[in-house]
Amino acid sequence: MYSLDNYKKAWGNQPEETYQFSALEIYKLAHSKSSSIVKWIFIIGILEFVVLNSLSFFIDTETSYDVYKEMGLEKTILYSTIVAYGVLFYFLVLFYLNYKRISTTDSSRQLMKKIIKTRKTVRNYVLFNFSYMAFVIVLVTAAYLKTHFNDLEAKQIVLILLLIFVLTLIILGVLWLFYQLLYGILLRKLNYNYKALAKLEKES
Amino acid sequence: MQKDLEDKFLVDFETNQNIAHKICRIYTSNRDAHNDLFQEITIQVWKNYPKFRGDSKFSTWMYRVALNTAISLYRKSTRQLKTQDFDDVAYKIKTVEYDDTEEVQLKALYKAVHQLNDIDKALIFLYLEDKPYTEISETLGISNVNARVKMTRAKEKLKNILNP
Repeated sequence: MYSLDNYKKAWGNQPEETYQFSALEIYKLAHSKSSSIVKWIFIIGILEFVVLNSLSFFIDTETSYDVYKEMGLEKTILYSTIVAYGVLFYFLVLFYLNYKRISTTDSSRQLMKKIIKTRKTVRNYVLFNFSYMAFVIVLVTAAYLKTHFNDLEAKQIVLILLLIFVLTLIILGVLWLFYQLLYGILLRKLNYNYKALAKLEKES
Repeated sequence: MQKDLEDKFLVDFETNQNIAHKICRIYTSNRDAHNDLFQEITIQVWKNYPKFRGDSKFSTWMYRVALNTAISLYRKSTRQLKTQDFDDVAYKIKTVEYDDTEEVQLKALYKAVHQLNDIDKALIFLYLEDKPYTEISETLGISNVNARVKMTRAKEKLKNILNP
């Protein structure tokens, strides 16, 4: 059997790695954190989609459907839900495409462009979720007031409107906080990468 | 300033990339894992590059950053290396003009080193790279005496695996 020194000699004589990375490849590897951030945005988007969908299994949809029906809203809600899912799915595809493109990026200028694009997609996605939420709240409030208009006094209507307004603010606030936490951190990191790249660009 | 730093990093890293490749060979057993670890080492070396003062050689400093990256990654992953994966590493070290005896030895060596734990791997790697104990203790952040004691044990383990 050989002694450790024999093995050490064999180690010292081993050929170099056949695949040597070029400076450009090393540059890309060193800056590849952006792609993993975008990957997380994509994964969180999918999780959100799945969680939102599975929520309907736990919520008593029949009761709420009856309430909508009473107000004559069942069709509007159904259609808007379908549209909302369609849009959510569209954003998921965009997230995925962003991720794919950023993973195979070549120059820093292009990487910058793609980072901006990803930030825009996320912003639009959050905006859409906000407006959809607001839309549903306004719709339900209006329909409720319409069906109950005759039984209500002016004072009560004002009170209801006020209550709904405050409630909407609270819901949107919670939603905003949620997204701030979820995407805010990731976007800040992406923004940092963007600034570093922009600085490199300017100096070269 | 940033640009200068980056140019310097690229030159330093490109010329010393074999340090990273060798560490990848020791800590991983297939092409994908090798490239993953290589990428992580690149990121860590670049991230820490502004802290590299230049009072030691770049290669010395890179041994430290790269090994620490490999050790911490290896600890996080629960995957155990399978010995049958080893053939993937073997294909990379096969060349035409290469001496047969040494090739057999090298294969056996890699196979044995893969069975060691993360710290022993690092110790054996530094031994094989012929590093002095001052550098080994500094790289692994342990005292000189401690490095010697640990090295003796790691070598013992390696010998037992190589010559059962």
